[in-house]
Amino acid sequence: MRLLVGNTLPEFTIESVSAEAMKAWAVFLADPNPIHLDPEVVKAKGLGDKVINQGPANVAYLMNMLMRAFPGATIETMESRFVDNVYAEDHLTAGGTVTAAEPGQVACDIWLRAAARGIVISGTAKLTLAS
Amino acid sequence: MSATTELPPAPDVAGTSLDGTEPYIITAEQNAALCRSTGIEPASDGTAHPIYYYIATQVAMGKTVAGVCATCDFDVEDGPMMGSSGVHFFAPLHIGTPYRVTGEILGLVRKRSRKLGVMDVLDYRLRLHDETGRTVLETTNVWVLPRKHLA
Repeated sequence: MRLLVGNTLPEFTIESVSAEAMKAWAVFLADPNPIHLDPEVVKAKGLGDKVINQGPANVAYLMNMLMRAFPGATIETMESRFVDNVYAEDHLTAGGTVTAAEPGQVACDIWLRAAARGIVISGTAKLTLAS
Repeated sequence: MSATTELPPAPDVAGTSLDGTEPYIITAEQNAALCRSTGIEPASDGTAHPIYYYIATQVAMGKTVAGVCATCDFDVEDGPMMGSSGVHFFAPLHIGTPYRVTGEILGLVRKRSRKLGVMDVLDYRLRLHDETGRTVLETTNVWVLPRKHLA
């Protein structure tokens, strides 16, 4: 694909965020924070009525979007700003726009959007393209 | 506490070491499970999902999440929140490689927020090194620690 500033990247979709996957991520992160595991704790804290996805899992969706958009590329830098929570059963879409392109490198604005609430992560990434 | 009242200072924690003591190894089994939990298949070339930048550094740094919070005089049960996370990769992450973590707290700044009231913004940097000592990535994370009792 010929890269031009302003090109939109193919979107990566999570149909429904899995509460079961959050249990696995609690192990991956060695972090048993109950807001990711027990909806009653989330309710008691006044944060909603479903378990909250781990932030790094949301970043992973963005990375998947980038790796699919640029096969064989490697992420050089990435900045993610957490704007809102992602909850179990959320429908998510990750996407982005090319902001700079030069031989062998591309820079993008990236975002993760929850269908129910809008942008939940915004950020930037720079990738080294496959030769 | 009114908006004009001067806040007590945040604990002075800048410079606190977060160097790890044990190596972190990404296993093929966990990498595969992690990739599939995010909707993709694992790579077949021995590289790990890049999100291990966060996982490896968090798990193998010298303090637990609760320990970092305690250093900041904050109870983890009060709910630390991720503000932002940045990473600079110098090399891809590989399955089976023992990685070590070095790092430090950069600062803890007390602020007022319309949404959260009083909060402390924690800034810390971690580096991941391979078995030769080469730095393979550097990450800077920001956590928000709500200080409800000061609101």
